[in-house]
Amino acid sequence: MLSRYIKLYYLFCKQNLKVMLEYRMDFLLGVLSVMLQQFAGIFFVKIVFDHIHALNGWTFYEILFIYGIAATGRSIHHIFFDNLWTLGWQYIRPGKFDRLLIRPINPLFHFIADRLQQDGFGQLFIGIIVIGTAMPHLSISWGVLEFFILVVMIIASGFIFVAINLFFATLSFWMVDSLPIVWTIFNLSDFARYPLTIYHKGIRHFLTWIVPYGFTAFYPAAYFIEGSGFERLALLTPVVAIVSCIFAYWFWNRGLKAFTSTGS
Amino acid sequence: MIVVKNLEKHYKIAKRDPGLRGAIKSLFHRKFETKKAVKKINMHINAGEMVGYIGANGAGKSTTIKMLTGILTPTSGEVKVNGIIPYENRQQNASHIGAVFGQRTQLFWDIPVRESYELLKHIYEIPQAQYEETLKEFVDVLHLEPLLGIPVRQLSLGQKMRCELAAAFLHRPKVVYLDEPTIGLDVAVKVRIRAFIKQMNARYGTTVLLTTHDMQDIEEICQRIIIIDDGSVIYDGSIQDIKSQFGDKRVIHFELEDAADSFVLPEEIRALTEVLPTSDEDPHLVSLSFSNKHISGAEVIHTMMNHYSVADLTIADAKIETIVEEIYGRGMKKEVQHEEIR
Amino acid sequence: MRKYVEFARVQMQVHAAYSAWFWANTFSILLRMLVIYFFWKAVYSSRTEIEGLPFEGMITYIIIAMFLQMFVSGVGQELAHTIKDGNVAIELMRPYNLITRLVAMDLGDKVIHFVRGALPLSILAFIFMDITLPTSWQSGLLFFISAFMGIWIGTFFDLLIAILAFWTINLWGLQVMKEAVISFFSGALVPLILFPEWFQTISLFLPFQAMVYVPVAIYTGILSGTEAWLALGSQVFWAVSLFVLLRVLWSIAIKKVTIFGG
Ligand SMILES: Nc1ncnc2c1ncn2[C@@H]1O[C@H](COP(=O)(O)OP(=O)(O)OP(=O)(O)O)[C@@H](O)[C@H]1O
Ligand SMILES: [Mg+2]
Repeated sequence: MLSRYIKLYYLFCKQNLKVMLEYRMDFLLGVLSVMLQQFAGIFFVKIVFDHIHALNGWTFYEILFIYGIAATGRSIHHIFFDNLWTLGWQYIRPGKFDRLLIRPINPLFHFIADRLQQDGFGQLFIGIIVIGTAMPHLSISWGVLEFFILVVMIIASGFIFVAINLFFATLSFWMVDSLPIVWTIFNLSDFARYPLTIYHKGIRHFLTWIVPYGFTAFYPAAYFIEGSGFERLALLTPVVAIVSCIFAYWFWNRGLKAFTSTGS
Repeated sequence: MIVVKNLEKHYKIAKRDPGLRGAIKSLFHRKFETKKAVKKINMHINAGEMVGYIGANGAGKSTTIKMLTGILTPTSGEVKVNGIIPYENRQQNASHIGAVFGQRTQLFWDIPVRESYELLKHIYEIPQAQYEETLKEFVDVLHLEPLLGIPVRQLSLGQKMRCELAAAFLHRPKVVYLDEPTIGLDVAVKVRIRAFIKQMNARYGTTVLLTTHDMQDIEEICQRIIIIDDGSVIYDGSIQDIKSQFGDKRVIHFELEDAADSFVLPEEIRALTEVLPTSDEDPHLVSLSFSNKHISGAEVIHTMMNHYSVADLTIADAKIETIVEEIYGRGMKKEVQHEEIR
Repeated sequence: MRKYVEFARVQMQVHAAYSAWFWANTFSILLRMLVIYFFWKAVYSSRTEIEGLPFEGMITYIIIAMFLQMFVSGVGQELAHTIKDGNVAIELMRPYNLITRLVAMDLGDKVIHFVRGALPLSILAFIFMDITLPTSWQSGLLFFISAFMGIWIGTFFDLLIAILAFWTINLWGLQVMKEAVISFFSGALVPLILFPEWFQTISLFLPFQAMVYVPVAIYTGILSGTEAWLALGSQVFWAVSLFVLLRVLWSIAIKKVTIFGG
């Protein structure tokens, strides 16, 4: 069962890659543009830190580290789950979603596998470089265990992005296109690039317990930053990822049910 | 194979006043109107049958097919396809069925046709040997060879439909639903597609449910037709039966010199003929329907010529087309009445 | 002329119809303002000024720059899509100048955007976020002139980039790239005076600082007197050059359509 889906995913990817290579110029453009976009954000932080030593007690490299985890986690979402953006206007509105419902495979799987977004590789690349740059400057000794935890944290971060987008994209089943909502919520992730301690308490709680973007960058990063005071909470990251994915998937199934009973 | 009992589908349509005020009002208080698209339908289709499912635009054909394929959950009633309830076990049902929706593609838009099939092979878990054999057969019958290397988006409508059809039958499904598979195609392609469907049925015993507005499709492919009108089945039986039942029906189209709005049925034939509603496109057209048991065509024409200056006329005989036209016509009249009442 | 006014008017109505996007936009801007506010609050938590700018000056710059940046892009997207789906050939047969039509629509868009979005939001910012008024009424007036030029430059640059759609498919990438470059060099994220010397020198020769930095720097008094007038002069230069460049590139592109069929 699982192996069948893995095989299928591989085949879908292969097709997607072929299409991508057909438009090589665009592949490069996409990757480059996303890298530039990320770079602009980092450059901004750098400029600011040219004039200050610490932001609310956080050093430049610590901020960079948070930023890198956010970028890498987001890139997982961007590369593999980008189709979530298109549910309303490319699938439901033109009636293309019906196609997925008469196939003997999970419709969510089919929907996700339908597209691979090359542009996300730029983000992945920058994210890894940024993490790599910041790592040696953190006062922690990097062993195998730390590396392992870091990878787990990043994957969890990616899946929190996925879960949040899936949840709000699912609203499309009721309202045809929920893109404005998905987009607005996604903008909330901007908060996550900086230490949550700089914000008002209300915002912090909101981003921790309601829309858990805090777990996409700040908390996982804080695990590796000595004396951050969030080491405990940081360990919740994978749990939060799993819970939000389950919740989003449950919601998706509800949406699917509503969709098949209204048919619009 | 397909058993349908008291099947109903009601659509809820949210009503909204126009403009911003309407939008805001609808946030708090929504008014719904219920549209009964399918009403208490019953049908029983055996394995290997080829059934034509026909009706006027908006009669509820696509809605029924969506429920049979599991895309739509019925409001009430029961559907069993091959012993499976489609909307409850969608994936299980999906591996035994194929579908073509004439207006939309099932194939993968950006990749060449052959690779689309290759993916479908894996999705439907078709054994390699069977896949190769089937594909070869389809390529021969539908002349797909030159199309296999082309991405779907670059195909013409007719080419796409041939590929589409092959995709629907590729996994040798037990049932295939075809919703307007010949829409917008030229005669040659239509002929080829009909031949293909018949061949599939003969060879694999595939059950076929076909909706179309082309009566030629029905006459050539189906032994049985089900006619649906305004959500209800109004006829279910063989084509032969309907021909003999309505065989005495005749329709004559008159092209008048004057506009048809001022037309009134002449006194002499008023009791025995009926005016069929016609489209607005031709303001001079009047269509009369009658039974040749009660009045002869010659008499109708004679009377008309006496009262109106007729520019041209066509007599439609007892082909299935005429019958269907007659039946649809009545349905349309009903709709007009509804609107007046509202 | 009349028909272009009509285009602008229709565009305003279209805008009003998409109320979901309007609220999404408004809400996103509010969020962004919150992030900016808290970020800079934290930056200033241990000091009173950076490069001579106190917190009020900085936050005023950043917020005004943010609003201005929303207006420096234009209908490039529209143009690019028209080119991409092949409708440009049809558009060229119509009895109007496509570019002028797009600019007119854009104008309609921006007016409604300003009235419904930017104006109320900036009033909100004034009340809650320690934003200051311009130092004098002269610099206020100069700001309006300069901002107008900045928007003009941004609009034409946007269309210029969109014409590249004749040669590439990935419109999204093009758009993201453009936005990244603009937020980099235009001074939309931080005042250019915070940048290293070499960077400031480079951006002096690029059109981007004329889009956002110049007007906002005039507003906040970073640029004043002769400096301000010089900067205004460079804006005029860029406005004219981009306009001419756009016309030239457009006629080349049209030739490509009519001769090679796109
Ligand atoms: N998603 C929907 N929401 C609301 N009403 C719908 C929806 N889909 C169809 N209807 C309505 O239900 C009725 C039946 O539609 P259906 O598509 O089944 O007709 P059809 O027989 O396939 O017609 P056609 O020959 O034009 O394809 C129509 O009146 C239509 O307006
Ligand atoms: Mg239909």
